[in-house]
Amino acid sequence: MNNPDPQVVIVPCSGIGKSLGSVGREAAYELCEDLRPADTRLVALSKLVLGDSAARQTVAACPAVTIDGCKQMCAAKMVKQSGGTTIAEVSVVDVFRRHKDCKPEGIAQLNEGGLKLAHALALEVLPIIDQARQAGLAQGGDHA
Amino acid sequence: MPELPKHKAGIIACSGEELAEGTVSRLAALKVLQELRPQDTVTICLPLFLAGGEGDRAFARFHPTIAVDGCALRCAARATEMYSGKPAASIVVNDIVSERGLDKPEGRRRLNAAGQQAVEATAQRLAVLVDDVLGRKGQPASTTTGTTSGVKEQPVQATCACGSGVPVQKLVIEGQTVEVVALPLIFEQFRNAGRVSDEATLCELMETVKVYNPVPPQAEASYRQAISREYAAYCRQETPR
Repeated sequence: MNNPDPQVVIVPCSGIGKSLGSVGREAAYELCEDLRPADTRLVALSKLVLGDSAARQTVAACPAVTIDGCKQMCAAKMVKQSGGTTIAEVSVVDVFRRHKDCKPEGIAQLNEGGLKLAHALALEVLPIIDQARQAGLAQGGDHA
Repeated sequence: MPELPKHKAGIIACSGEELAEGTVSRLAALKVLQELRPQDTVTICLPLFLAGGEGDRAFARFHPTIAVDGCALRCAARATEMYSGKPAASIVVNDIVSERGLDKPEGRRRLNAAGQQAVEATAQRLAVLVDDVLGRKGQPASTTTGTTSGVKEQPVQATCACGSGVPVQKLVIEGQTVEVVALPLIFEQFRNAGRVSDEATLCELMETVKVYNPVPPQAEASYRQAISREYAAYCRQETPR
């Protein structure tokens, strides 16, 4: 990683057929739009699949958090294949095991349980992002 | 070239999480898969072409596939062609938005009204393309007629969150375990056609297997032997009612 002010890259999987994929995506949006918009950057997994050079450079330059909806762990695998460094590989299934009361349903439109699970996932990731940012700043990378 | 019946159209959305148009691609694909053509369509997550197995990479060779992309980068269409097979058709959400004179979709997380209109327009176009690639132009969609193929539905290897995949069968060839893509369906098609296990059938079986699987020339004899053995065993099984 050679970036003077590395944001944390968030890469959710592209899961389309089950609600767990939607939960991962919703959590990624919550992190990047609501909780840490200045510290994070969303990268579309499809660009990494294609080998888009700009996306690969971004992933190679920044610490990454991947969020996957199934055991295939596509996002985690693709970030590694793209030369990235993951600081967390989050499995939605694992988060659900810790929050059994948040049962996700729906794909295009998540139910309340799915939204709660996404929020719980985002909150679990938050300290990892903050820690990575603080470490980056401690190395003297931030703007004046 | 021998082919299995084109019993399902594949839909692959770019799902581009960075853009509202990517969300449109995903929601339009879902609408076709769940509402407009549920009996005629299957999907797979694009990253599985790299992260998955041979059954996943065979997707576009097995299903006539329509790629739905959000932007001109066309990740779904290009990656499908690179790693699986050339899509039978390809559409870009931005093109449809322009053609229809719609406002620009906004809100990758929650689409605005223009985005919802783009979902409808893209889904309608997709449904027409599904009918086209399945050769059903002008015929009623199987949302009302049920399964239209002579091939019985197979339990697929549900390998990912999209729940789709091409069935594979493992064979031991020259001491190595090899996954042969689509072999269960190929066997079923041949048996349903009343093909007994003989030399002529074996030649056609091999031709069909090679449509979906790379067979190294030096290993072809071993493949023939294994497939002959497995087809004979398959035919000895009780025929399903």
